[in-house]
Amino acid sequence: MTSLQARLFGLIASLWGGLLVYFYHSGRIRRYLEQDFHQLILIGGIGILILGLFFVINPKDKSSTTCSHDHHHHDSEDHHQNCDHDHSDCEHDHDHQHDHCDHHHHDEGHGPLVTALLTLVPLTIAMAYTQDQYTVTGKTIAKKGLYEAPAINQTFKFTREDLEKRVPKNSLGEYQIRLITAYYAAGDKEMQPIFEGLPVELEGRIAPEKLNNEEGNRLRIFRSIISCCAADMQIIGISLDIPEDIERPKLNEWAKAGGTLDFEKINDTIYPVLRVRGFMPAEEPYSEFIKRQ
Amino acid sequence: MNADTENQLADGSFEFLSIFLEGLPFIFLGTLISGFLGTYLPRGAFEKILPKNRTLAVIISGFLGAIFPVCECAVVPVIRRLVKNGLPVSCALSYMLAAPIFNPITAYSTFKAFNSSTDVMFTRLGFGYLIAVIIALIAARFAINNILKSSNDQKPLHEHHHPRNLTSALQNSLRDLMDVGLYFAIGVILTAILKTAVVDPNEPFWKDLGANFAGGTIGMMILAFLLSLCSTSDAFIAANSFDHFPIGPKLAFMIFGPMVDAKLIFLYSTVFKWRFILFLTIAAFLLTGIASWIAQNHLISDSPKAPVEDLLTP
Repeated sequence: MTSLQARLFGLIASLWGGLLVYFYHSGRIRRYLEQDFHQLILIGGIGILILGLFFVINPKDKSSTTCSHDHHHHDSEDHHQNCDHDHSDCEHDHDHQHDHCDHHHHDEGHGPLVTALLTLVPLTIAMAYTQDQYTVTGKTIAKKGLYEAPAINQTFKFTREDLEKRVPKNSLGEYQIRLITAYYAAGDKEMQPIFEGLPVELEGRIAPEKLNNEEGNRLRIFRSIISCCAADMQIIGISLDIPEDIERPKLNEWAKAGGTLDFEKINDTIYPVLRVRGFMPAEEPYSEFIKRQ
Repeated sequence: MNADTENQLADGSFEFLSIFLEGLPFIFLGTLISGFLGTYLPRGAFEKILPKNRTLAVIISGFLGAIFPVCECAVVPVIRRLVKNGLPVSCALSYMLAAPIFNPITAYSTFKAFNSSTDVMFTRLGFGYLIAVIIALIAARFAINNILKSSNDQKPLHEHHHPRNLTSALQNSLRDLMDVGLYFAIGVILTAILKTAVVDPNEPFWKDLGANFAGGTIGMMILAFLLSLCSTSDAFIAANSFDHFPIGPKLAFMIFGPMVDAKLIFLYSTVFKWRFILFLTIAAFLLTGIASWIAQNHLISDSPKAPVEDLLTP
């Protein structure tokens, strides 16, 4: 690596590291990664930044006069053709100075310009276009499962008494159950009677409804489940059946929806649906993700 | 630009950034280790550590993931440097392919994802390890210049005494970070495009594949390739999002994906020749298919249900 290459690579690394630190510091990271990974981003970002800045400031190993790089000698090419000293008899330890050799000893990897072009340009474009979440009107959110029915025969079991004992109610007596609970209830025939007709309050983000919505009186409320990053996200959603006189939240807003939980069959598949009584605004949580256990 | 294109660009950007942000610290960790190994690990050290018998050495290397657990992104720069420092390529392959599956973190996530099923966990780890070792043993019969890119060849004509100091180690790390980071970025771009613009696992085509074993297994391996999930989280996706698939194809998803996926092949290209990567892909595909069939018919009778934790407590 020449001094210029080291400096340019150092600059690219600094930008990568700076990007990680920026995402952590600005809080935007909470939209991309599960909370357990946040500190890793900060530590990784600082580490890359230090590594990069080190070579921006100190591009050559001045403390050593020896080769600081791999020195594979290639059979087929004269690797030292630009050196003016004799390398033909290489039985020595190679401890002589190489700083004067301006040639590139490696033929591995790409130069800094290619690296910058293929990493910094896509990153810049991505930074310009990302909305820090999947768009609620786009196709990707549907691919992640927004309109999918829950898997059948789930293994969680509880009774109405458990519900009474452990789930808080709002001022209107509606159970403040987790959206994921209501969702999975639709996948278990034993659980359905416990939830059917139950007054509940669900909290989540609002998306348009694409199922059973010919009359246009429906929206969908959803939450996201992840293990590591948004790429492994699974989205679960529940249909909101809204009477005409109820004021609707805007798409993508966080809301609490109160009403009665019901189940409906569409093409032989059972889906949960909330018959909405009303909406209340809700604050977006620090991290909207539910972590897979 | 119409609304659909705008949404796709926004979603693709989000997907790209989420994988890049998650993966980069692991790549950095891998390149940091590789830089220090390259500087401080004496050439020939592996000859002293590993058994002389190549087969035994490959078998032992496959277990290293249990001791040094690294994900599939971080392992590539490490083995790249280890190979340069004299680790036999077959041993490096065995470690590289097995480590993302045969490690405690993946074991635990598989165990949890499949409702505390030790059957699924041990089958996944066992076949992951076995396939890695088989591929490595086959590769051991190849000429080394058919496997490695010329820049990674192990053919120095003489010993060089490189300075063993911090600056040299950091310089190696920076060089590795730039090389691997570049290919990682290319792989992530491709993955983001595939996931947001091309593949939809909820389409009837993919769902219908679950109806038969062969179609399901092939389909799940292709999906694993396209979705490029981390080995630590793919078990949850397999358990929760593909409930209509039997256990064999789910295992194929969890074994093939950590070995070969859209982003990994670009990382592999920093070490291996493309022709060898093609061999690796085909071998992993066939062996995983066989493993999936054995698991489905002889080892695990039913797909354990996806777990649901205590859903009532807020």
